[in-house]
Amino acid sequence: MGEVTVNTEWLSDCSGCHVAIVDLHEKILNVLAAVKIQRCPVLTDVKDYPKARVGLVSGAIRNVHDREAALKMRESCDIVIAWGSCAVFGGPAGAGNIHTPEEIATAVYLENKTTTPAPPPSRQVSPLESKVTPLDTVIYVDFYLPGCPPHPLFVFEALSALVEGREPETAKRSVCAKCKRKMEKTEVAELKSNFEGIPDPERCFLSQGYTCLGSVTIDRCLAPCPSNGVPCTGCAGATMQVLTEPNRDIRTEIAERMSRLTRIDREEIVRSLERSAKSHYSYTMATSMIGEKPTFLIKRWIEDEEADYEAGGR
Amino acid sequence: MALEITVHEQSCRGCELCIDICPTKVFTRDEEKRLCTVAHAEDCIACLSCTYICPSGAIEHRDIHLVKNFYRDEEFCRKMGRFL
Repeated sequence: MGEVTVNTEWLSDCSGCHVAIVDLHEKILNVLAAVKIQRCPVLTDVKDYPKARVGLVSGAIRNVHDREAALKMRESCDIVIAWGSCAVFGGPAGAGNIHTPEEIATAVYLENKTTTPAPPPSRQVSPLESKVTPLDTVIYVDFYLPGCPPHPLFVFEALSALVEGREPETAKRSVCAKCKRKMEKTEVAELKSNFEGIPDPERCFLSQGYTCLGSVTIDRCLAPCPSNGVPCTGCAGATMQVLTEPNRDIRTEIAERMSRLTRIDREEIVRSLERSAKSHYSYTMATSMIGEKPTFLIKRWIEDEEADYEAGGR
Repeated sequence: MALEITVHEQSCRGCELCIDICPTKVFTRDEEKRLCTVAHAEDCIACLSCTYICPSGAIEHRDIHLVKNFYRDEEFCRKMGRFL
């Protein structure tokens, strides 16, 4: 086994995936013993794209720079891994697809209510593309590692497997599989917002009427949020059955389970999730696997929500 | 050919949704472990309702004939095989 060379690149994302490498702690020594990190925006000062065996690319394609950098990584690396939910699904930046770049520029620069309005920058900043897209719309991706960021365990397993030339061991179970809350049937009859009341720390959020995306989200995190009192927001992206089955959707899958665990009506749950869809679908709406589903009607849901608001409703 | 169903013990949340949804009463509750277990695998008709409803994705069937879903997007399914 020769030394495995690694390049990493950072497109439109928050840097969390790169920080996750550091979260390998002392295990990074095992990785570094086997791999040679060349280009890595947070660790090395390599500006070009040296030839490498493995390329880890985090972030979505949001602007022209992202596209060019992705192409450079594909040229320079034998194996490219879409690393993190932004590269795999588009990530939170994907919520920008609900608006045009012009609308975003207007809201952020020209009509910003919290700072002095100013024209959008035109120099030294790469222009936005018309849409946010995942990495694989620009280059061929060999492997996908979702997560926000992927837990170091999964990063370590992926890198180790590549170094050792074997198939990585990764389960495709959901966040619920790692959550220790008791999922049980209750008499709860009303949906609750996350800021209402204090959830029972031992009991499943769905059983208590709180929206939690754990059952529709692939486990690439080991469930830290629900284990610490915060419902899952679905940051690692949808489970395989939601991704591959056109008639299965995030909101209906949650409603199906929650309505069986509580006394809350299934349709009421579906409607509630539609009303806050921009949050629930934010990590994955830029990928065609979710964004082009026949069941995904976000523009209509937003219009309905706005109409209700205008009418003085919820 | 013997059909085999497994419930991944560490992943099962004991919610009983599989018990409720199974049309042939394959599952039962293990009160001691507070988990759902397979009681009558021989009655399974491989409808996979339990697999789909399970919040954890803990239920797996082996040695079943999977009908190819014509409505599935082949391109997506190929991508799924490359998820780490």
